[in-house]
Amino acid sequence: MGTTKYSLNNDVKSGSLATEELTLSFGPQHPAAHGVLRLVLQLNGETVVRCTPYVGYLHRGIEKLAEHRNYFQIIPLTDRLDYVSSMTNNIGYCIVVEKLFGIDVPERAKFIRTIAAEMSRILSHLLWLGTHALDIGAMTVFLYCFREREKFIDLFERLCGARLTVSYPRIGGVRNDIGNNWLEDLYKLTEEFPMRIEQYETLIDKNRIWLRRTKGIGVISAEDAINMGLSGPLLRGSGVAYDVRKFMPYSAYDKVKWEVPIGKNGDVYDRYRVRMEEFRQSNSIIRQCIEKISSGPIMAQAPKFILPPKDKVLTDIEHLIHHFVLITKGAQTAHHGEIYVATEVPKGELGFYIVSDGTGKPYRMRIRAPSFVHISALPKLCEGALVADVVANIGSIDIVLGECDR
Amino acid sequence: MTTKKFIKKVFFIEILQGLALTLKHMFSPAVTRQYPYEKREAAAGFRGLHALVRDKETGAAKCVGCGLCAAMCPSQCIHIYTIEGEDHKKVVDRYEIDVLRCVFCAFCVEACPFGAISLTEHYEYSDYAKDAFYMTKEKLLLTWDKYMAGEKGEEYFKKFWRPMSEDFIQKIQNAKFMPTCRHKGG
Repeated sequence: MGTTKYSLNNDVKSGSLATEELTLSFGPQHPAAHGVLRLVLQLNGETVVRCTPYVGYLHRGIEKLAEHRNYFQIIPLTDRLDYVSSMTNNIGYCIVVEKLFGIDVPERAKFIRTIAAEMSRILSHLLWLGTHALDIGAMTVFLYCFREREKFIDLFERLCGARLTVSYPRIGGVRNDIGNNWLEDLYKLTEEFPMRIEQYETLIDKNRIWLRRTKGIGVISAEDAINMGLSGPLLRGSGVAYDVRKFMPYSAYDKVKWEVPIGKNGDVYDRYRVRMEEFRQSNSIIRQCIEKISSGPIMAQAPKFILPPKDKVLTDIEHLIHHFVLITKGAQTAHHGEIYVATEVPKGELGFYIVSDGTGKPYRMRIRAPSFVHISALPKLCEGALVADVVANIGSIDIVLGECDR
Repeated sequence: MTTKKFIKKVFFIEILQGLALTLKHMFSPAVTRQYPYEKREAAAGFRGLHALVRDKETGAAKCVGCGLCAAMCPSQCIHIYTIEGEDHKKVVDRYEIDVLRCVFCAFCVEACPFGAISLTEHYEYSDYAKDAFYMTKEKLLLTWDKYMAGEKGEEYFKKFWRPMSEDFIQKIQNAKFMPTCRHKGG
């Protein structure tokens, strides 16, 4: 037996106890990964040295499926992109096809779409706030958020019969008209909602644990954010006041007054603040739309592309022929060419790129999904940070893997 | 650090405010629903289980087997088989819906020119075997009798079988609710 005592310090100093980087596979079944995101983290102690995201676990081939369906049948597919706010996806898709066909949507339908889209934005942000707070360690916010979410989802159910996968907008308008009762109930809900936002803020806004976990974490400068192609609350949190609704207004966004909230530092806290302000802006947009909405048709007059009225189908031969041709072959006289139109969804800029060859089906459909772009910013956010901050960063970029993998 | 900030930091003011809020919620009525015991009614026009409309006069299915619903269905879950009946008439032999494939978009309702298919408010149909979700014509007609027969079905088609010609023309009755509504001629 030797007489020298074992000492860890000596081993480290002499280099005989080599420390290695640890590879940690985070996800795809990790509850904080918000779906099926897989990150491979190289760790040095508790510091992330390298972060590599792997995507594609939820790939369903929606872009390819769209090539084999006519323009109407793609609407339910777009529901399943960002399944948290399916309404905005539907509207984004319908706007692209309307532009391709050259259809003008009636005024009332535009207002209905704006109301529905803003409700969807509130829904999406509520889910984000709840799960983000849950990841960081605040459980109560999650429960409160889902209480309000339920009320908005109930209104969606009354509007179109479905709670999450709505398929409500149609090419050239919306599926069915909204009643005055529905508008009144929504108006009541928007009266009460600002008070609810204050409640969430009471719980976490100044909470010292929340501030420690979010301030100065995951900083992206405005320049980096633009270079990486970020959009939505991520870009605005870095101080760039870019919003598609403001720069290229669609639906009724140019007829209501609202502001684009921006942050300063581009950290997790600023992105949280931006989304909390967006709650208030969305609420105000909904209220203004309810006050301004006028009576009128909800479907455009474009018989070549839009299903004819049902009451005429069995009494008028022309309408009957149109009905059969439109359903079996799709909207036949679609223009040749390609089109890209972007809309602002809760996650960022969602764009549909469609190549049309004049048949009833798109020749190619490409979806510019904000979540996919935002995941590419994860390595930059996480490298150099602690493992615990990875969760905060994933929460703050607000990704939905259904949209990323398509 | 000012005195105010110091007091806030030492006495955990912001945490106490949060705790006060949660404490207040202890005395407000519960918003949760004890689901299997307490059930909520689905809203009118809910997109639940399918039903084939039974014609009031003849007692048979309204469906004539034109196949438009099957053509429109984005998930291709409707299968229709027709045969030649009496007087060389086209008769629907089998009408089947694979409910497990369905995405409940209600496009079949929109595609049907006769109003012969509808989605009911029934949503609790879990089962142990896959066969239970393969709906035949008889099963679909029974669903109609059970959930949609009478006024309910009529209301459904009035409200959710769209588009109607009134969607394309000016409507006046919708202008009642809000004081700032603008009327347009027409």
